[in-house]
Amino acid sequence: MKFTYFHLMPYAGLPDDFEKRFSSPSLTYPNGYFDPELGVELYHRYLDELELADELGFDGIAVNEHHQSAYGLMPSPNLMAAALARRTSNARLMVLGNAIGIRGNPLRVAEEIAMLDHLSRGRVVSGFVRGIGWEYFAHSVNPTRSRARFEEAHDLIIKAWTTREPFQWVSPNYEFRYVNVWPRPLQQPHPPIYIPGAGSTETMRWVAQHQYSYMSVYAPSSLTKRWFDGYRSASEEAGIDPDPEKIVFSVPLYVAETDELAHAQARGPVEWLFHKGLKQGFEIIFPPGYMTPGSMRGMLSSGFAGFENMSYEDLLREHIVIAGSPDTVGETLEQLRDTLGFGSMNVLMCIGDMPHERVVSSMELFAGKVMPALR
Amino acid sequence: MPDATTQGTAERLALGGGEISIRSGGDGPPLLFLHGGGGAGQWQPAHALLAASHRVIAPDHPGFGESDELPEVEGVDDLVYHYLDVMDRLGLERPAIVGHSFGGWVAAEIAVHSPERVGALVLLSPVGLRLPEHPITDVFFVPPPEIPAMIFHDPSKLPAPDGPPDADMLLAIYRDSTALARYTWSPFMANPKLERRLHRIASPTLVVWAEGDRVVPREHAERYAELIAGARLQTIPECGHALQLERPEEVVAVIGDFLAEVEAEAVAR
Repeated sequence: MKFTYFHLMPYAGLPDDFEKRFSSPSLTYPNGYFDPELGVELYHRYLDELELADELGFDGIAVNEHHQSAYGLMPSPNLMAAALARRTSNARLMVLGNAIGIRGNPLRVAEEIAMLDHLSRGRVVSGFVRGIGWEYFAHSVNPTRSRARFEEAHDLIIKAWTTREPFQWVSPNYEFRYVNVWPRPLQQPHPPIYIPGAGSTETMRWVAQHQYSYMSVYAPSSLTKRWFDGYRSASEEAGIDPDPEKIVFSVPLYVAETDELAHAQARGPVEWLFHKGLKQGFEIIFPPGYMTPGSMRGMLSSGFAGFENMSYEDLLREHIVIAGSPDTVGETLEQLRDTLGFGSMNVLMCIGDMPHERVVSSMELFAGKVMPALR
Repeated sequence: MPDATTQGTAERLALGGGEISIRSGGDGPPLLFLHGGGGAGQWQPAHALLAASHRVIAPDHPGFGESDELPEVEGVDDLVYHYLDVMDRLGLERPAIVGHSFGGWVAAEIAVHSPERVGALVLLSPVGLRLPEHPITDVFFVPPPEIPAMIFHDPSKLPAPDGPPDADMLLAIYRDSTALARYTWSPFMANPKLERRLHRIASPTLVVWAEGDRVVPREHAERYAELIAGARLQTIPECGHALQLERPEEVVAVIGDFLAEVEAEAVAR
């Protein structure tokens, strides 16, 4: 089992009655509410937590990309990864991922990841994501072109990393007459690739065929199981024996000395994450064309009604969140590993507005008492 | 007064990379009706009323309603060529073209491109012009429950659905919305170059705007009327953006009077 410490860098300063006053922390929550002094504090605190994860022996530390949102303060994940590259030494430096569907120029991503690969002496993992629905509003990128842009940008970046001479690129959404990125990556043929999946069969098949790592998004474990089974059968169809380490379970997780303490301390931050951070209407997560008809039908028929109406207990029951003593968390993860069949985990341990001391204590308990048994 | 009894019949037409669906009905001079973001796949009371005096041809735009998505039709410029092909295939020499909202934009683009192919032009609360100081409502950002209040002056008059929407209905709405986004996401609902080309339109033109329109500000209708030679602007009181759906009799009467005038003049010449 491989463990990645994943950070969202949430803006912890949302008002208590946020969900009554605002429709979402994304796209429309005025940036007048952003307190720059708190911003400085949060960035340094969050980078400290990622550095601590490296010291505690996590296999990877991960950052991600979000725009115009208090949900996550990393419009540029590559900047955060650069800040970590020279202050960490062992953990994989994972950018999960660059939202190549909304980038104007995918070659910039190829260049920055290649730079990071050198800065980190070959520790970079490159995730590619399409970008969340509201980011298509925020970037004026047509969501009906999302999938095509993503695939073209991916193909272009891989070709830019693996071709040893200048070439020309022409595809429906991109045209570059001269592609010749300097530097090219340190890792050969290129850094490992992670792709998140949320049930789309097209994505499962595509990730399986490329033998990339397939990472879940927050969802009930019954859904996650369907996705991982889908990835495994897509791999088998492609004649590939799926490597369990490439099946990655993502989950917010909190560990305290006892179950009681864990629940008492996790409840508020978990509610923050799912009721404030992920408060968003259908129209901003699923702009037109962002979902294929098949994926949309799958989502409508899954009966999943969104996080807004799920209580802390619901979230625990569906294993969307895990919290408890080291023993409870260890047992739960063993069960889930056996049912879902994953070989890697992305754990989100700074949940919502959780105070730094609690995050650190949870990390230490997890690294000291849970990880060793699961390895 | 025309009655609303004329039935429309749907036919399929193979064109380019797929098939489109066309509803038509009535007898008389041809009238090509181009729907907006909503209204695909329907023979509405306004169609039936118009069909009392005209042969009404109401296609679903590619990707909308019962029409296939056509890979070669990606933007409004492609739609212009698409409809010139449709007109050729159906033998429509110089039809009247009535376009609502997005369909009004397409109608104006056809008339700019091929002025000689348009007998009369009616633009119902059209989008298509880029007037940043008078923004069009971001229809993609409106939460689904708020849509009735956005398109009707009096939302209580919107025909009530038979029951809660099922998955098929939601998917159909998402598909129409996807088709609309393909053509209009960016630049949003506009061709920045259209304004400077409107002088090419040669047909008699009527612009109709609904006084309770919460999607398209009045200035858009005014700008069309100002830049199309001889165009007339008429408004419909107590009516929202879905004007021919909210007030079919009034809207069809306005269109009918205008077309009767145009057709009488054509005979006199």
